[in-house]
Amino acid sequence: MGTALKKAFELLFSNDGQLWNIVSVTMQMTLTSSVAALLLGVPLGVFYATSRFPGRKALIILNRTLMGLPPVVCGLLCYMLFSGVGPLRQLKLLFTVTGMIVAQVILLTPIVAGNMETYLSGIVGEIRETARGLRLTRGKAFLLTLNESKYALVSTYLFGYGRAMAEVGAVSMVGGAIAYKTNVMTTAIMMYTNMGDFTLGLALGVLLLAISLIVNITAHLLQGRRA
Amino acid sequence: MSKKALVILLALALVFSIFGCAQSETTTTTEEETAATSEPIVIDGPEETPFETMSPDYEDKLGITILYEQDDAMINNYTLLAVNEDAPFVDLDGNAVDDVAINTVGAKALIDWMLSDEAAELIGNYGFEEYGEYLFYNKEDRPVSTAEIPQATDETKTIRLSTTTSVNDSGLMSYLLPVFEDEYGYEVEVLSAGTGKAIAAAEMGNADLILVHSKTQEEPFVEAGYSKVLDGYDSERLTFMYNYFVLVGPKDDPAQCAEASDVKEAFQRIADGKYPFVSRGDLSGTHTKEVSLWPEELGITTDAASVADYSEWYLSSNAGMGVCLTMANEMDAYILSDKATFLTFRANGGNFE
Repeated sequence: MGTALKKAFELLFSNDGQLWNIVSVTMQMTLTSSVAALLLGVPLGVFYATSRFPGRKALIILNRTLMGLPPVVCGLLCYMLFSGVGPLRQLKLLFTVTGMIVAQVILLTPIVAGNMETYLSGIVGEIRETARGLRLTRGKAFLLTLNESKYALVSTYLFGYGRAMAEVGAVSMVGGAIAYKTNVMTTAIMMYTNMGDFTLGLALGVLLLAISLIVNITAHLLQGRRA
Repeated sequence: MSKKALVILLALALVFSIFGCAQSETTTTTEEETAATSEPIVIDGPEETPFETMSPDYEDKLGITILYEQDDAMINNYTLLAVNEDAPFVDLDGNAVDDVAINTVGAKALIDWMLSDEAAELIGNYGFEEYGEYLFYNKEDRPVSTAEIPQATDETKTIRLSTTTSVNDSGLMSYLLPVFEDEYGYEVEVLSAGTGKAIAAAEMGNADLILVHSKTQEEPFVEAGYSKVLDGYDSERLTFMYNYFVLVGPKDDPAQCAEASDVKEAFQRIADGKYPFVSRGDLSGTHTKEVSLWPEELGITTDAASVADYSEWYLSSNAGMGVCLTMANEMDAYILSDKATFLTFRANGGNFE
């Protein structure tokens, strides 16, 4: 463990091109996919919680099932879709960062939507009453809902972001862990482990946690300022 | 409220980093002490650049070692195959797909270069500096190319190479390919998986060429029309380099494999004594080789059901070479590995520190 920590510090202060490429691909993939999942998942969650129509319960159950979608299954699905003989072969998304982001968004959106639905179901009655009392339009009522769930929004986002950072099954299948292109921190850890370099793998793991810590501190500061 | 939490977080981060520094310092001292009292040289010097961690003076920390090698039955041939753009590609439902994008020009450029004298010299010398041993040898009867290699264009720039793990994990690809890329402007995307998966990726149109090491799996690939003979060559299968499979096992060698007269006898001894054996079990080239070395009466094939009766000592792990070597090391088991991966694995430390 000691050697791994030392190596993590050495790595951090080294000018290694491959390491910084891995870090930047990781950031690009996790930030894009978690923001996209938030933009898709939050309206979906608000829709689940606030609207009333037949089949709503079934939809929520379906969403909860998708929340447990195993990443490798999602990866396999995307691999088959984007594959050279797959139906979406013209998009040429296999072994690209965009393809990895698509897989991540498929995994994260139900999680974001489900978390929002759970949170909102507790306060939806009051919001509806307020909206009725103030005679708010649909759009304004939506904004009010978001305003009432700021704290839940940040924590939901962080949860999604954490999942995106930790994910390895789907991204290794869709991305292929190609050096200088689609190799992210988790797949690089797998690669170095397979080469017998446990120390370097562990050092990358320490860096991964450190990045997560920085993101969480930033989010906490934002959350504190608004609340 | 938020300030308080921030202070706590920062304090934690500080403690964490101080702990880290202190921890690494104590480790360094113990390492220095060990180095002073015993001969092996410790590899982790602070001046060392990361990602180039190999050193010929590594300390062998593994409990397993090479017991049997350099047998004719253990030759490990590596073959290049170009993917045929007119191959009978089918989708999952078995419908023909005729517009699979294959970069044949790029694949031919890379194959021509890999078979050039320039590449042969690089391959022949690879590993000696880092490991004190040559990891790959050029085949004497290998096809030699003198064809002129075109510079990359926008359409032919990206080459998808699907390889077996051994050539990638041993560092050969990251040593060879930059030379080719710098000279001709191509970008080679290396996908590394066992031979079975590498071939499957090519059959789904996800590779322009493959570099694999299992004749029994290459032949059906060629027969099904997935590969083609390139201009200037006689065969689809271009076997150009080799090394050896090695039987690796515990240093005290309870099955006495090191004294066996041939490799089949060594495997017989393992089976007779039911000593633990880790199998790749993943249809890789190493796996197909391994199943051919067991005594015939055991009936071991690549089918997992064929080894169900031997599960007390035969561990079919379905994992990469590195993971399997770790398992063998932890369990004092025997294992078949390609020599290049084993030497890299050993030089990298191969265990936790």
